[in-house]
Amino acid sequence: MKIKFEKLIKSEYFRFILAFGIIKKVIIILLILSPHLTFSQSYYLYVASESEDTVSLLKFDKNQIEEIERISVGTFPTEIEGPHGITVDPNGKYWYLSLAHGNPFGKLIKYSTKTNKVVDETTLGLFPASMQISTITGFLYCVNFNLHGTMAPSNVSVVDPETMTEITKITTGSMPHGSRISPDGLYQYSVAMMSGELFEIDALGLKVNRVLDLENKMMKNKKMSHKMMDMDKKMDNMKMNKDKMKSMQNMKHSMVKPTWVIPHPNLKLAYIAGNGSNEIIEVDLENWEVSDRFKTGKGPYNLEISPNGELLIGTIKSEGKTAIWGLKDKKLLSLLKNTTSISHGIAISSDSKYAFISSEGIGGEPGIVDVISLETFKLISSVEVGKQAGGIAFWKKEI
Amino acid sequence: MKYLITLLLFIFSFQFNLSQNQTIESNLEGLVLEIGDSFTPESFVRTSDGTQRDCQAIIYYNKKGVFNVGGSIVQDPSTGKIIANEPGEHEVVAVCVDSRNNGNRLSQTFLVTVKFTKTKSILLDIENETFTGNYIPYSYSTITENGLKRNDLIVNVTSSSPEIINVESNNLLKASNKGEANITFEVDGVKMTKKVKVKNNPVSSLNIRISETSIRTGDVVNIETKMYDKKGKKIEGLAPVFSFHGESFDGSNSASGLIKNNKFVADVAGLYTVNASFGNITSSTKIKVTDRDVKKNIVQLGIGSVFDKPSSDAWFFEGVDGKDYGVSGTFFDGLAYFWDISDPKNIKKIDSIKVDARIVNDVKVSKDSKICVITREGASNRKNGLIILDVSNPSDVKILSEYTDGLTGGVHNIFIDNNHVYALNAFGNPSKFEVINIEDPKNPKGVGVFELELGSAIHDIWIEDGIAYTSNWKDGLYIVDIGNGIAGGSPSNPVAIANYKYKTGANHAAFPFKSKSTGKFYVVLGDEIFPDGVDFFSSNETTGFLHFVDFSDLKNPKEVARFEVPGYGSHNFWVEDDVVYAAMYNGGVRVIDVSGELLGDLYKQGREIAAFKTGSPNGFIPNSTMTWGAQYFKGNIFYSDLNAGIGALKLLDSKPDNSKSMQFTTDKSLDLLFGAKNLIELFEYLESPPIE
Repeated sequence: MKIKFEKLIKSEYFRFILAFGIIKKVIIILLILSPHLTFSQSYYLYVASESEDTVSLLKFDKNQIEEIERISVGTFPTEIEGPHGITVDPNGKYWYLSLAHGNPFGKLIKYSTKTNKVVDETTLGLFPASMQISTITGFLYCVNFNLHGTMAPSNVSVVDPETMTEITKITTGSMPHGSRISPDGLYQYSVAMMSGELFEIDALGLKVNRVLDLENKMMKNKKMSHKMMDMDKKMDNMKMNKDKMKSMQNMKHSMVKPTWVIPHPNLKLAYIAGNGSNEIIEVDLENWEVSDRFKTGKGPYNLEISPNGELLIGTIKSEGKTAIWGLKDKKLLSLLKNTTSISHGIAISSDSKYAFISSEGIGGEPGIVDVISLETFKLISSVEVGKQAGGIAFWKKEI
Repeated sequence: MKYLITLLLFIFSFQFNLSQNQTIESNLEGLVLEIGDSFTPESFVRTSDGTQRDCQAIIYYNKKGVFNVGGSIVQDPSTGKIIANEPGEHEVVAVCVDSRNNGNRLSQTFLVTVKFTKTKSILLDIENETFTGNYIPYSYSTITENGLKRNDLIVNVTSSSPEIINVESNNLLKASNKGEANITFEVDGVKMTKKVKVKNNPVSSLNIRISETSIRTGDVVNIETKMYDKKGKKIEGLAPVFSFHGESFDGSNSASGLIKNNKFVADVAGLYTVNASFGNITSSTKIKVTDRDVKKNIVQLGIGSVFDKPSSDAWFFEGVDGKDYGVSGTFFDGLAYFWDISDPKNIKKIDSIKVDARIVNDVKVSKDSKICVITREGASNRKNGLIILDVSNPSDVKILSEYTDGLTGGVHNIFIDNNHVYALNAFGNPSKFEVINIEDPKNPKGVGVFELELGSAIHDIWIEDGIAYTSNWKDGLYIVDIGNGIAGGSPSNPVAIANYKYKTGANHAAFPFKSKSTGKFYVVLGDEIFPDGVDFFSSNETTGFLHFVDFSDLKNPKEVARFEVPGYGSHNFWVEDDVVYAAMYNGGVRVIDVSGELLGDLYKQGREIAAFKTGSPNGFIPNSTMTWGAQYFKGNIFYSDLNAGIGALKLLDSKPDNSKSMQFTTDKSLDLLFGAKNLIELFEYLESPPIE
């Protein structure tokens, strides 16, 4: 028996059991102590400054946000090329930046998060703006805002970020601005600001799946404003070919002016910022219909939903504020004044604890990024970045 | 712990195996198509254990991207077929999207070769007859079976009678003796034969005459020739071939120049021989070329410093009160500065205007000096457009109105002409300029628009005599009638007259001028190129040059000359009395003599009168010259510099004295630096190094 026991304790099996037991105990002890241990956590994000041709890498340590690097972007020293949209790929190795101004087409630039140096680039459409990478296809979908063009249908560029090839352009509406990919990576949603439509693109089939008119039926009957009439009058004076005129006549001037769309992370719903109608529009993605509308302050612009699906955060651009709604009952939980004017973009930490808000400022004022706690709804910290801070993207949380 | 590591490695290796060792196999591999062919690709995934499976979705695309759609090789989304449009080797990428890829990318690039279809015929252009001693010029192209024209195939040329027409190296045809020969051109199995008759050279003597035998570098001489037969009768209708050789007066320099269309110009001083030949009859003449000798001293009179931010364009004008003023734009905070430049040695900042913008890129003042227009980019409301100012009193500038319709993307450049503002919407598609009537400057009204083709670019505009000259990057120069009447244009109905594109594709600015000395009409086109990219906060390299295009015949423009300073590109420029005042970014202000006919490389010809680097040690980027614009105004040269604000230069009548420039140093500095009283002592000192 004794021999058997000695054999047993010398055996590989016993050592394995012993090792496993020790590890198990260590894990249990760590779990017990975990609430009492303080881990140093840092959050990293990128923000683009459209009027300074810079991108800032920011670090937030739960108390203070700081700029740890300012990266010059663009090619021409005498012209502002307008870095507008920014996104980090799902594996965090690269960040992508859209440069709005070109001759005339804008560009997509790929940077390494390790070095913040350019890896590759490709040409996109006119004034490329917001973008995101689908986890299922690996492709990047970027809307071409065409801010300066005539009100004709624009498009979404689909780029393979591996080869940095623009593989196709998918025609959508007039001035497509906000865009996001569905959580399953199968659909890209974008809103066309001037034609007031929501577009669903099949990320695999690379074609438009569905289009939804976002105009409120009541609003549709409103008379055109004087400004719009002036615009139409001016158009009459313009020298245009018949096709273009026809195309413009077919384009309506949206009263809603949707500027952003964000699909819910868990539910078949999407939320849209009605920048012109001062409202949030909820869309039932299953039935493809507007399921709710609720009022906001003046000029809601960008929207994001916390990854846990509980909060909807929106910038109220014209008021320089950030609004936070609870998505269970769509009640406004907080409305905070941002540190400077022209609230713009939103990035939310992966743990749903913090919202990072970019604000543009005016003229020579710097852009500012505010950090808002999504637990206390208080502004915690702010940092100055380049002028006209806009596109903002969360990179990583590091322990 | 060992077991734990083993366990983890096992888990990771399992995951690794799942994600790796999968490849896409496809019938695209090694595929060869002919133009016009279509092909249905079939691809599947091969796993490491040899099994194959289909992909849930597979996407094919041309690696060259969307701009090549319809141009090289594409996929028809309706049929899924690959269509070959252009010859060459094309990379077709197949991306497999499948949940079984564990989130890993699975793609493969296949090389697909597209060939031309067979040659069907040869298009040949060759003279039917020639004269002994001449080379016979010819050109050809081939046509494929599906009708495509090719210029890339090399023909095999043979002669039926080599003693009459010989095929020399590089397929050159030399007419040696009188007679007839059949010349056969063969390519890709297709032959074409042409009979060429060789006559005896009728030319017995050839006289060459040049307009001047003693010229300066850069002077263009016309070459005249007369040919006679044996009887001394003049022969008409034959064109001789011209050539030249020369010897530079400077032993370390080589004689160079250009001979083109019966004209000769030399770059370097020396003795040149110009030859004219027809067959084996040649005649020569000598030309003595001396230095152009136009160099002058240039001095800086004063500066209007802007060191805390970059400066952009500037404009200098005589105010309503008879005093002289300037206005300059800036980057970053929407400021425009107003200057009193009446005393160029004492430039004073007298007012400023701040608008909602990040960049005031361009500034212009009306001819009556009452209205100034400044551009806006980066306005907080994104409406941008332009601001109209009352500058009747430049010490108290007032905003009259703003105009944003159609210009919300930002206005980069403007011009004021005859109560109208011409404002560029550079970033739209189509690119365009808007025409705004400012007869009532408080109520500007849009009256017209000029649009370029979709995908074109527009960057700058200059107006002279009712004609707008727009600079359009790759799309070159557009000349547009906006009231001259030459094409029935008006401000409300701009009509394009001509377009001139050129190879560098970087047309940034244009300036038209009529040569006072020759009456020829030129447009100077400048390149803006940053070869190494750009850093806003350190010095930058530029390249490119000024193109001189003879537009005397608007329908037949000819690029005749260039001004290129190696290492320096161009930005904005001004021409007055046959002198160009060019802002050449890091090359500073360059003053160029453009008198007389222009041909060849003006810089090499010594036509540069003076150069001045406008950077400042206290500049936004210290000691970094980045001259933005130059304007000749009341005998002085005013400029703006990106890093230093504005300034005034004066061209002196005196010539630079370089006679002392090569002296090593003064005796005083030798004593100070080396403790040597003179050079001999210094050399002695250097020969005896100190003992350590």
